[in-house]
Amino acid sequence: MTSTSTSRTAGVAILGGGLAGQRCAETLRRHGYDGAIRIVCAEAHRPYDRPPLSKRALREPADVGALAFRPLAWYQEHAVELLLGASATELRPRERAARLSDGRTLRFDWALIATGSRPRPLPALAGRENVSTLRDFEDCQALREALAQPTRLAVIGAGFVGQEVAATARGLGAEVTLIEAGPCPLAAILGEGLGGWFSRLHRDEGVRVLCGVTVRRVRGRPRVRELELSDGRRVEVDHVVVGVGVTPATSWLRGSGLLSDGGVPVDEHGRSRFARVLAAGDAAAAYDPRRGRHVPGAHWETAARQGARAAQVMLGRELGPPPISSFWSDQYGIRIQYVGHARLGERIVLDGDPETRSFTATFTRSGRPVAALLIDRPRELAPIRDLIEKGES
Amino acid sequence: MSYHVEIDETACAGHGDCVDVAPEVFELADIARVVGSGSDELLLAAAELCPSAAIRLRDARTGEQVYP
Repeated sequence: MTSTSTSRTAGVAILGGGLAGQRCAETLRRHGYDGAIRIVCAEAHRPYDRPPLSKRALREPADVGALAFRPLAWYQEHAVELLLGASATELRPRERAARLSDGRTLRFDWALIATGSRPRPLPALAGRENVSTLRDFEDCQALREALAQPTRLAVIGAGFVGQEVAATARGLGAEVTLIEAGPCPLAAILGEGLGGWFSRLHRDEGVRVLCGVTVRRVRGRPRVRELELSDGRRVEVDHVVVGVGVTPATSWLRGSGLLSDGGVPVDEHGRSRFARVLAAGDAAAAYDPRRGRHVPGAHWETAARQGARAAQVMLGRELGPPPISSFWSDQYGIRIQYVGHARLGERIVLDGDPETRSFTATFTRSGRPVAALLIDRPRELAPIRDLIEKGES
Repeated sequence: MSYHVEIDETACAGHGDCVDVAPEVFELADIARVVGSGSDELLLAAAELCPSAAIRLRDARTGEQVYP
């Protein structure tokens, strides 16, 4: 590695300009860290919030600045240097140096790997013009423009992002087909009974939901005109969204000694096997003491918390165990919340009628709650979380 | 839904977890105070993390308490 370091002082190198990196920088400054902080942002934008990309920002034209966590002045005031349009290409943990795409070498006292994840592509659709994934602001704008005209939209993959896109597009008047390989949406997380509730939700809103099928053939080039499914059905499309999950954006770490299949393995506080190198957010696979293994892929709240906790580690502060993760989704004006780990459950206890759009499903094990799905029951989240946490002690 | 946030000043013990996750919304002096606004996601994440359950969220439209 060259010695053309741009840094007079090493400080903290935050590799990745998403939520986890932003929270790390904020927490460092809040606790009085006065060394250099640099955030390496692959995108041309300062860090911004992504959950609106499948909802509000898809409905209304917006400037990326409206989604930014902080105004530009904040970075100046807090002496947080943004390296926009640059990405880390190599990490040398023992030398405490990172190589950047613009040729620079960044030396550090501490590094946070926070490069997030990228959408898993579908090779069959590679190179087609009217195919979107949804990860960054430009993806969102391209899809928003497509949806501005009357559109026959196919959404492949009925995870939460796919479902949110389907719901938002439907609200914009698109003719939507939701295609899912599993027996129903979210079957792997919630099981078929509750997953089936999501199929009904979308059908009731006028979405065509096709489950247990995959895309067998793609017709049309450079624009997809038609998808032929594994059951022989054909779906004519103007636009396709692929939402079949994400993979950690960590391929740049190859050769660093830090990588496993599901991201960078770290302990429950974000520490990697190398001193002074941490990872947070979707790029990390944090050890979960509740499940006794490393858990890849995180959600919004996890990324925020892990980023802040990484800063605490750098500052040598004491940390308690991480709280139980939760996440949510807004579809058709219904707030959907999920807390805990349903796969630990043996039974499902229902409160309210799943035929309606307001009920709670609690997953229990030996009579104790381990997870819950809340459909338009926001007031129940706090008590259920308490019960799940108490059940562990 | 859109949340309105308030802090129970008698309950807040100044842990600062809310500031970690939602620094655009909360600031810590001795106890936390609300200094900005944020998405419902942000507010709820902060409220959930509070060890003292000192963050109250209301439906801004109906005034109904939704958390805790």
